[in-house]
Amino acid sequence: MGEVIVITSGKGGVGKTTTTANVGTGLAMLGKKVVLIDTDIGLRNLDVVMGLENRIVYNLVDVVENNCRIKQALIKDKRYPNLYLLPSAQTKDKTAVSPEQMKKLADELREEFDYILMDCPAGIEQGFKNAIAGADRALVVTTPEVSAVRDADRIIGLLEANEIGSTHLIVNRLRTDMVKEGNMMSSDDVVEILAVDLIGVVPDDEQIVISTNQGEPLVGSESMAGQAYMNVCKRILGEEVPYLDLEATRGFFQKLKSIFKK
Amino acid sequence: MKEKVVIKGTKSGIILVLDADTEYTELKEAVAEKFEKSAGFLGEAEKAIAFQGKELTDPQKIELIDIIQEHCKLSIVCILEEDDTLENAFRQSMEREVAAVDYSTGQFFKGNLRSGQVLDVETSIIIIGDVKAGAKVISKGNVIILGSLKGNVYAGADGNVNAFVVALDMDPVQIRIADTIARSPDHPQKKKVKETKIAFWDSGNIYIEPLDKDVMGDIRL
Repeated sequence: MGEVIVITSGKGGVGKTTTTANVGTGLAMLGKKVVLIDTDIGLRNLDVVMGLENRIVYNLVDVVENNCRIKQALIKDKRYPNLYLLPSAQTKDKTAVSPEQMKKLADELREEFDYILMDCPAGIEQGFKNAIAGADRALVVTTPEVSAVRDADRIIGLLEANEIGSTHLIVNRLRTDMVKEGNMMSSDDVVEILAVDLIGVVPDDEQIVISTNQGEPLVGSESMAGQAYMNVCKRILGEEVPYLDLEATRGFFQKLKSIFKK
Repeated sequence: MKEKVVIKGTKSGIILVLDADTEYTELKEAVAEKFEKSAGFLGEAEKAIAFQGKELTDPQKIELIDIIQEHCKLSIVCILEEDDTLENAFRQSMEREVAAVDYSTGQFFKGNLRSGQVLDVETSIIIIGDVKAGAKVISKGNVIILGSLKGNVYAGADGNVNAFVVALDMDPVQIRIADTIARSPDHPQKKKVKETKIAFWDSGNIYIEPLDKDVMGDIRL
């Protein structure tokens, strides 16, 4: 019986879609059967980040409206045969789907997949309600900025009100150099404010931009962000993984930067 | 004397015109007689039926259909209830005929189609503007884009394999002609040359080629 995980944040642009793509791909690399569902109807992105846009024929709304079978709409990933994507519709809006329909869909997919990852849209309206409808647990993504943390707090409250089993926090785009100078909250600060368990800290990494643009998730690669995402995946599977020493890489990146600056 | 029962035939159905002033029992006999006489002419076929001229109850209609099937080799598959359903049925088949002609006619659209926008037309379409990624054009005929194509195009949407797509800058996510889908390569070349290209269907595959004289000569409308 599969587990449904919703990836949400409240605020836009903090890395929900990137996290969904990388965590989903990471879980598939670890041998799990995974389906990613883009619930951002009308503003779909996950297909682009996964590099699967050109394979879309049917989408989430087609499935819900019974224009096609689930199997027809699932897109098999080009790298991992046990990874699938259910893309969102671009021409409809959030009202095209109801929370009840999403729950039914999630329950059907549960039969066949180990993990069902819901990429939630920004905001707390219908799209959010759809995305969390069938979820067993939630990953809340935030960046170490007051605005993102504030929205994450609101989201955690809503998740608790909707009785989502467990909620974990991913602090994304952390810059250790700025933390050290006291210009950015550390992951500990964020955890203290939000009072939920941390499941991952992902450093700000320009490799992410490159990987997103190429449609190739970087999880599992040598890059810091790639390693950090892989650790998140392992922790989801219940492994105890020590947190990366982001400090060590700072020196390296700093060196690189200074080389380029010259 | 006025005919009690008149059979009017169409391609896929028959209209039974009944005399309003004749009693139902009398009509039954007349129907039986009429269809027995015409059995040879009507042959063996599946037909839809419509009743006109006299108000009938449902059991009466069914009884009449039974009589018809007894006296000739026709099998009646459905009853067209009202005059507008009949009208609709006729119009639909008419539209199908008209659509077949529409491949060679077209219309214009001016403007850019952006992500999430869909242009769905019955005829061929000429777009003066771009079709951006995430936008979609659906046409039963041909699609000509006087701009760049970076989105999805579905030409020959009702199965016309002669449909084609032309764009001044051809860089689509997906092109579909009739029932064949072609998708963009997973690792696109970085240097792209802007060139007018045509996408066409040939024996189950979609080909994209520069629009030159040879290719243009092969276009069938």
